[in-house]
Amino acid sequence: MTARRGKKRGTGNLRSVDVPAPPTSFLGPRPLRDAEFRQAVGAVDFAVEARYAWDAGVAVGEYLRGLKRGVILGRECRGCRRILVPPRMFCEECFRPTDRWVEAEDTGTVNTFSICYIRWDMVPLKEPEIPFVLDIDGASPGMGFMHKLGEVRPDDVRIGLEVEAVWKPEEEREGSILDIRYFRPRDASARKGARRASVRKKTSASRRKTSVGGA
Amino acid sequence: MFEKVSDPKDVILVEGQIPIRHRYTPGVAGEAFFTALRDRGRFVASRCDSCAVTYCPPRLFCERCFDGPLEADVEVGPEGTVESFSVGYTGLEGEPLDEPVTVALVRLDGADTVLVHFLVDSDHLMIGQKVRPAFLPKGKRTGSILDLRGFTPAE
Repeated sequence: MTARRGKKRGTGNLRSVDVPAPPTSFLGPRPLRDAEFRQAVGAVDFAVEARYAWDAGVAVGEYLRGLKRGVILGRECRGCRRILVPPRMFCEECFRPTDRWVEAEDTGTVNTFSICYIRWDMVPLKEPEIPFVLDIDGASPGMGFMHKLGEVRPDDVRIGLEVEAVWKPEEEREGSILDIRYFRPRDASARKGARRASVRKKTSASRRKTSVGGA
Repeated sequence: MFEKVSDPKDVILVEGQIPIRHRYTPGVAGEAFFTALRDRGRFVASRCDSCAVTYCPPRLFCERCFDGPLEADVEVGPEGTVESFSVGYTGLEGEPLDEPVTVALVRLDGADTVLVHFLVDSDHLMIGQKVRPAFLPKGKRTGSILDLRGFTPAE
């Protein structure tokens, strides 16, 4: 039908070319319904086996071993005088190998954050998770990594908030970024547990209501 | 100088698995095909009259002129002709098979396109060979392409 219309209009050299157009809208009887999706005759269910093993490499390997010991390691580049955390063996600004291992602090500030009411696989969460990007103390500005915040009410999180690592006990650490449980405000009065339980319950309940309505 | 990992025990491997599941539904024409296969042991096809092409398995749209929707209402086969075949000695994961499998392109009588399936119970393979379908018994069919065990020589 589209082709015929094109012919009638006549577009120079294309006049004689009868080019059919692919369908631009759904032309079936109607979209698939949920029950039909589940009961479709001839449906094939398949799970791809997508296993992987990622080699952490020299720099991140040492970094993970450092976490097991309870230290956050970085690399210093003497070319640009930056301290890189997480460490890399090669400076991407100077195009030269980095020079030495340094220990960063396990404190820093919130660079940016997000309040998540669903898990990565879209399961709703009652208590939100607060992933954030850390600017770590003892490294160059903008250096740090992603982790999550704890012991803090979502409304109290601010960019620039000073935070500190809460480590797992040494015997539970396994050389993973999760050897740090989470980061919490350095200022004890800004922590969630600092308020009276009854007050906290009330405010968090009313806040939840607002956030649901606003979402 | 770069530091290097010289002891394999120092390599830190992070292992994981990405969960990927999917369900493929064969669509309007595909469902008609599998329903006929399961309930009646027959092959249905769809025909585009302007191209004079009969598709089996049926398509909802003609892939030559985009005409559609086509109806999956033409019956083809059940006998057909081997257009090509391949003998496989390894499985999907590359594992050696005890018995080789033969996968063939079968053009059912009355159709212009081919169906991919196994050739079974066949010692002598030949392009152009006439074949007929070998179905599972009716009670065991589930609406899968494997309701058909494969094709076997017609004679």
